[in-house]
Amino acid sequence: MYVLDKSQLPSFLEAMAAGRTVFVPAEAGGMTRFVPWQAGIQLYWEENPVISPKELFFPQTQVLYGYRTLGQQLEILSRDEGNSPRVIFGLRPCDAAATGIMDDVFLTKGYEDSLYRSRRQNTLLVVLACRRPGPACFCTSFGLDPTRADNADLMLYDLGAEWGLEAVSPAGQDLLAKPAGPVERQAAAPEFAGDFPLEIKVDHLPSGLRPMFRHQVWDIMYQKCLGCGTCTYLCPVCHCFDIQSHNRGVQGYRYRCWDSCMFSDYTLMAGGANPRPTKKERVRNRFLHKLQFMPERYGKFGCVGCGRCVLKCPVNLDITQVANRLAEVVANA
Amino acid sequence: MPENPLLPMAGQIERIITETPDVKTFHVTFTGGKPFVPRPGQLAMVSLPAVGEGMFSISSQGEQHLEFSIKKAGMLTAALHEAETGQMVGVRGPYGNGFPLDLCRGKDLLFIGGGIGLAPLRSMIVYCLAHRSDFGHIQIIYGARSPADLVFKEEIFDRWPHEPDTEVNITVDVGDDNWQGHVGFVPAYLEELNPDPAGKVTVTCGPPIMIKFVLQALDKMRYAPENIVTTLEMRMKCGIGKCGRCNIGSSYVCLDGPVFTLAQLQNLPDEY
Ligand code: SF4
Ligand code: SF4
Ligand code: FES
Repeated sequence: MYVLDKSQLPSFLEAMAAGRTVFVPAEAGGMTRFVPWQAGIQLYWEENPVISPKELFFPQTQVLYGYRTLGQQLEILSRDEGNSPRVIFGLRPCDAAATGIMDDVFLTKGYEDSLYRSRRQNTLLVVLACRRPGPACFCTSFGLDPTRADNADLMLYDLGAEWGLEAVSPAGQDLLAKPAGPVERQAAAPEFAGDFPLEIKVDHLPSGLRPMFRHQVWDIMYQKCLGCGTCTYLCPVCHCFDIQSHNRGVQGYRYRCWDSCMFSDYTLMAGGANPRPTKKERVRNRFLHKLQFMPERYGKFGCVGCGRCVLKCPVNLDITQVANRLAEVVANA
Repeated sequence: MPENPLLPMAGQIERIITETPDVKTFHVTFTGGKPFVPRPGQLAMVSLPAVGEGMFSISSQGEQHLEFSIKKAGMLTAALHEAETGQMVGVRGPYGNGFPLDLCRGKDLLFIGGGIGLAPLRSMIVYCLAHRSDFGHIQIIYGARSPADLVFKEEIFDRWPHEPDTEVNITVDVGDDNWQGHVGFVPAYLEELNPDPAGKVTVTCGPPIMIKFVLQALDKMRYAPENIVTTLEMRMKCGIGKCGRCNIGSSYVCLDGPVFTLAQLQNLPDEY
């Protein structure tokens, strides 16, 4: 393993940031999230940031193309986003796994989303191994290892006074070869300690849920949901978006922006029909999408157990409680 | 690097046909020819970028153009209805699976359409008539609210009935002073005509309520779910299976649909 005295981290990051943007966890605007590293920035290591790194690949709003209209004319102006190299430094294994799921969504099944790809393919992941579970974590329920990520370029370990670094990919190895870089030395990865506060039983998933679509359990489950969409915005796996126009005079641009299946107009059609007219259908869709539809389509759950939605839902509509209630119903059926 | 799949091509409305008081057909051409050759039943996104973008079935095509038959329903379609020839629009596609040609080849075909639902069917009917020997007998049962609401009047009255081994049965919910034809709802007319299911694939498209009763009638007439084909409508934004909007269970209508057999639909949650 390579080790680096914690006091050396700023100079290591500074060297890494030459010719790239390095995103680090920090407090910004009253939130914790990943922001571009700059000298003097205070890093935040206590918990997984509230805002997941998904916004770095899939920004909350993103221009798709520009256009000009004049009379009957129309000119489409493609926008090249450029793709400068980037590093996300210190994301957690759950968010790395979520990134892998986003890769499946945006880059497979017939179409590659070029805007997603141009950001993703130039981004290296430095994944921080967790040492203890956070207050609403349940990643292990989905078989994830909180101390590893297969798609990491570099694993980062908190060794107390030092950071430990282990290359997983050749690109990760290159990151270590900086002049101000860490030195190779015998060191053990830290032990993971503590019990997980939450758990989802997954044995019956996804096939056990197939008969559950019409079950009356949903008649109660949805009731407290406010339809605020907080859960989907914070979720590192939720990828739904809307496409809208920003029009000024004879020109404008089309952009995409995060959307939420919890919103009432999400599936509302131009003629007024809506296949998910009430919160019941919307809540059901969100949970089944994560626990049944994503596994059926991508072979992976649409949840990595990061706990963000559990911590931030204003009415405590907790995915672990929902999933375990469903498991109970399936078991008694 | 392949293009951004969400980027449209600019095309121009070359011809507008007023089909009914609220349906118009638009012929869209492109400098340098059609950007793609859709299969029958496929979709495309048509946009007036300042107003919006919507998914429409491609009701037919020519050497140089694509055709969209569009019913006035919301802001975008209202703006399209106000457009005049020469107006440029954005087009991207083709999207969706299209009709199952392999299932249909060599079989007799029964098309059942209602209202604007004849638009997607038309792409298939035109294809079948152009490849006439690949298909058996063709029967088209089509209905609309009133005589004025029948779309593609020239084809349904003057052209298709004269094609070889092709039968067209038209009905309207309510006739008018000049209407000499059949009066009644499509599902009832279907039962009255009672076409034999043997060796037949049926393709149906129309308002949800019509589809519902047509499926019941077909079931009564002993059509197998594998041989009943229909199309679904869902709100769509991306068309490429990314925006998540059009899912029915684990299927995406924009990719895995819009065409499904009844057998496939019976395996999906009934949320459409
Ligand atoms: S559903 Fe909740 S716990 Fe699961 S990944 Fe999304 S935000 Fe995290
Ligand atoms: S955060 Fe809670 S209240 Fe808000 S939409 Fe999600 S489940 Fe409903
Ligand atoms: S329209 Fe976006 S997933 Fe189907």
